[in-house]
Amino acid sequence: MGNGERPRLAAGDLAYRIVDLTAHTNCVGIEPSPRPGRGAFNIWYNTFPLEDLPPAGSTVDVGGVPFRMPAADGVRSDNVRCRGQRMDLAAGRVDWLYLLAAAERRTEDVVTVHYADGTSHAQWLRVSDFWPQTPARFGELLAFRTTSMLYPNHVDHRMAPAIWRQRVPVPEPDGVVAMTLPDNPAIHVFALTAGADEAVPACG
Amino acid sequence: MRVTLDNIAHWRHDLTGCLHVTMAVLLGFLGHDPLEILGAGWGFEYHPGELRREEYYFPCRGRSLLSALAPHHPVSSTWYLPPDAGTGWQQVRSVVAAGRPVAVAADNYELPFRPAYQDVHTNHLITVFGFDDERGDVLVTDPVPPRFTGAIPIDVLMAARDSTNRIDGDRDLFFTGNPIANRWLTIDAAPVMPVFDRDFVRNVVLRNIAEFRRPDGGSGMCHGLDGQRRFLAAMTDRLAAGDDTVADEGFVVAGPALAVAGLHADWLAMAGRRLDWPRLVEAARWVDRVAHHWSAFRITVATSRTDPAASAAPLLARARALAADHERALTLLCSAVETS
Repeated sequence: MGNGERPRLAAGDLAYRIVDLTAHTNCVGIEPSPRPGRGAFNIWYNTFPLEDLPPAGSTVDVGGVPFRMPAADGVRSDNVRCRGQRMDLAAGRVDWLYLLAAAERRTEDVVTVHYADGTSHAQWLRVSDFWPQTPARFGELLAFRTTSMLYPNHVDHRMAPAIWRQRVPVPEPDGVVAMTLPDNPAIHVFALTAGADEAVPACG
Repeated sequence: MRVTLDNIAHWRHDLTGCLHVTMAVLLGFLGHDPLEILGAGWGFEYHPGELRREEYYFPCRGRSLLSALAPHHPVSSTWYLPPDAGTGWQQVRSVVAAGRPVAVAADNYELPFRPAYQDVHTNHLITVFGFDDERGDVLVTDPVPPRFTGAIPIDVLMAARDSTNRIDGDRDLFFTGNPIANRWLTIDAAPVMPVFDRDFVRNVVLRNIAEFRRPDGGSGMCHGLDGQRRFLAAMTDRLAAGDDTVADEGFVVAGPALAVAGLHADWLAMAGRRLDWPRLVEAARWVDRVAHHWSAFRITVATSRTDPAASAAPLLARARALAADHERALTLLCSAVETS
């Protein structure tokens, strides 16, 4: 390979690895209606309606990236309120960390990417507000906008909250083994997928 | 009699609340650009012991609410505290009839267009811009999602304005327990505002920086960077000591801090684009970063209630990061305006 050349890729060789967040979830943010539990995506005990989202546990395509929807039932926790959790990733190349996320007021913070050789690098995670009638601030894709929002005592069909698809670049892609979320409880992560742009260099 | 005032338009900034959006509606009615006026000021002020449990809380000792919000412009506001609901409505009605919209405080629990209707008590602010005596309706507008403009029965508005805003349930947080008391507000603005040119923007930025750097004496009122540092340290220390009242106090005080930083960032970006001043746009992004720290701060304290001590270390880290980015933002702003 000459200077500046990149490995040629065959079609379809983008590689995605869905990360299981089950061990890290700590917040009930999705509930069926009527609400069975005491969910509280935000500090006012609002939740996303389960019926408006893809089936719990299913794999969905959001902007060409596969994600695993959380196993939400309104009782078990279904998202990670960011408190500095470290998440192991299957060793390998990672060019992007893709997230389904939403924030209680837009915010940005540092994600730490860890490598097999013990080094780490900081990258920015930026997440827009989930609140209805609020556009994305950071260029995210709109993953889902539900048709209502759940309140403890009613369902409000005028309130349509959002979950965003955001991505974090990993400029040094080889040897990634883990990531640490920021200690920023305004950010909630529903799903995480590690993506490699150049998984399988073509021969010849 | 029927009155409908024209030139009532919604305006919203995602990091602000009912105070800024209501003032924006009133300024817009007068033909002024809300962002130009409300986004110019950036500071920090807090008077311990003067926390008001209202969504429109803003520290304003010795000044009117709007003067504190817009310290670089010839604007002011006046609160009125009528003795009862009937007088309160007659006062509002007469001012609107004379052609002037007003802001009224109201408990969302009584307002059918608010999601908190018959659910959560809170101390909110909306605009009244008309009425129909025959129908018994009043025209109100509220840009806070779900945005609403329309008629509601006068009796409903009177009930919302006369509410004791009592604490009934575990979601009556932060802005409850403070009677609405039928209070209402008007604004005054000079017909001509400062010209939005490079000299004006430079002076505003330098005045904001000077206020941030002005020592606050170390006790009593928290002002500028000194005061912000003391406030953040006090919040952290009290959390470490297990003080669960930090959740309320920290959340309410951080609201204006978040709003003014976010709004000022957009004001700087607007100024930079309009005046072909790229370094101002770059500095604006750092001010936005400060706002985003305040987003994190608010939720960190708001979720601390059940185990305050556990939130002390994260809050300390947040306070340090906020202070560092704040210094960086001021340095960049200083550089941007001094080298232009």
